[in-house]
Amino acid sequence: MTTGTPPTPRTTITPHARQLPPFWLPLLAGLPLAVCLVLMAAPSLGHGVATASRTVFLMAFVLWAIPLTLVQRRLWMRGTRLWVVVPTLLAATYLMTLVARVLNIGLQVAIAGPLPPDFSWWLVLRGIEGTWLTLIAFCAIHAVVNYYAALKQEQAQRLEAQSLARDAELRALRYQLQPHFLFNTLNAISALVAEQKGPEARQMLARLGDFLRATLDLGHAHEVSLAEELALTDAYLEIEKARLGDRLQLKWRVGPGLLGARVPYLLLQPLVENAIRHGIAPRRGSGRLEIEITGEAALHVRISNDLPAGTDLVSGTGGGRTEAVGLRNVGERLSRLYPAACDLHAGVRDDGRYHVAVSLPLRLDSGARA
Amino acid sequence: MIRVAVVDDEPLARSGVIARLSACEDLVLAGEYADGPSALAGLAAQPADLAFIDVQMPGMNGLDVLAALAPAHRPLAILLTAHDSFALRAFALNTVDYLLKPVDDIRFAEALHRARQLLAWRRRDHGDAPEPQRPDAWLMRFSVRIGRRAVFIPAADVQWIEADGDYATLHVGARTYIVREPLHRLATRLDPAQFLRVHRSAIVDLAQVAELQPLTNRDAMLRLQDGTPLRVSRTYIDALLARLHDAGTPPR
Repeated sequence: MTTGTPPTPRTTITPHARQLPPFWLPLLAGLPLAVCLVLMAAPSLGHGVATASRTVFLMAFVLWAIPLTLVQRRLWMRGTRLWVVVPTLLAATYLMTLVARVLNIGLQVAIAGPLPPDFSWWLVLRGIEGTWLTLIAFCAIHAVVNYYAALKQEQAQRLEAQSLARDAELRALRYQLQPHFLFNTLNAISALVAEQKGPEARQMLARLGDFLRATLDLGHAHEVSLAEELALTDAYLEIEKARLGDRLQLKWRVGPGLLGARVPYLLLQPLVENAIRHGIAPRRGSGRLEIEITGEAALHVRISNDLPAGTDLVSGTGGGRTEAVGLRNVGERLSRLYPAACDLHAGVRDDGRYHVAVSLPLRLDSGARA
Repeated sequence: MIRVAVVDDEPLARSGVIARLSACEDLVLAGEYADGPSALAGLAAQPADLAFIDVQMPGMNGLDVLAALAPAHRPLAILLTAHDSFALRAFALNTVDYLLKPVDDIRFAEALHRARQLLAWRRRDHGDAPEPQRPDAWLMRFSVRIGRRAVFIPAADVQWIEADGDYATLHVGARTYIVREPLHRLATRLDPAQFLRVHRSAIVDLAQVAELQPLTNRDAMLRLQDGTPLRVSRTYIDALLARLHDAGTPPR
């Protein structure tokens, strides 16, 4: 009934693709470092050359942060090993610090005149740890940001994989429900044709068409509104009414405000089908089928039907294994969709009728209550 | 006489329609076409009053055929479709109704009834046909046989009526009664101020409708005050909504 093509997952996941956080994120994370530099420079402000050199340091940090981020992103994207990344970044930051230092000396010369005669170029290499350490700290922050983003991505992928697995399980369970009903109905139509009951056969075909359209219209959703499920079940019941005539006595009772409640697709139909196949259809006389749906804190579905004479009242199995399969299937789908929040009881009660009671969380479509 | 054309690419589908039409004495087959182009040529040469047209045909679909015909040659149309996805375009093209395949006998009769009414009104506008018949009075009570006893049920007590082959089942509180009259005939005899057809198999008392929820396939589900859920097919939904919305005004 449902076309055989397997559903294609919406997103394709390549297992080792690394995702990068947005470019501004590591820069934003490095902002506190810049603030620290400003605060550390505060006491020496107003001392001419010192102010200038501190400003150069700050500018150097801010300007170097951008190429440094690009380099580190490139390394991260390539998945470069740690023992390559660390020396590379150390060397790069050292080089950047040196350039800043030379610029600083150049600035001092511009402001305070030529270098003193005892100036040694070795001094250039001294007193640069501060800037270097700041840039290294920035690299460390950037690495943390990257690892955190990767962790997040992995979590999202795991969740998606889980939901895909659940989806597949639910689909597999759903497909077990339908074919035998289709073949039984085709057989009934074939019998009507053989008996030359043309109008009845045509009526049955039209109703079967209705039912198939109803199942196809709902697409592949696991959950539908109660109204959809009722329409589907009603289309199914129309076929059974044509088959059973007044042997099927049906009583519906749906509580107010529930038509928009979310229910698993094909929750009611298999239960009703069980009730008819194993309860009403084998009876000689008429049988009563009651379907009651109420909702207070949870949504309650109660289906009860008369049983054929001679049913084993202790085990309550009128039809044997197929019944158990249909019921178990509904139960399994319920427990996958609403773990720990659903309930299914089935069995013969003191009144000699077979009862199925299902409860599940009551969730209403927005705007469903008219 | 009403001249009818049948357009469908499948021979069996055409003969199915023609077999149903042959039961009606006021209809005459004006043409049978297997594809769009031949239907276009045929309908222009030999006009029809009513056409059954398959929507999904290879090459030129049924709506294209209707759109390509000059308005003077365009017949009233009853569309045939397996799965409707043609939306509202159909209604600009003289479409009376559409039938889903496999075709339901009751819906087929209904579509024909609509077409006959429309054609009768058109002819009356031209002054050459009698007034369409209207019942003198609406059915106020049902007579039901229980064994040899006759029981009368006031129409006002009936919540809804369900089709049951050639009979209909009246739902009155928790009880049901069988009337020996098909639902589609009852539909024309009941007071439209109280009763409305909502599906090929159900007529409801408007005052009993408690809720209405649209479905994804443009049908709807309604719930009666006693908790009975009933399907509303899209054919009837506009009439139902119109009636429910002006239900605030008291009946005259």
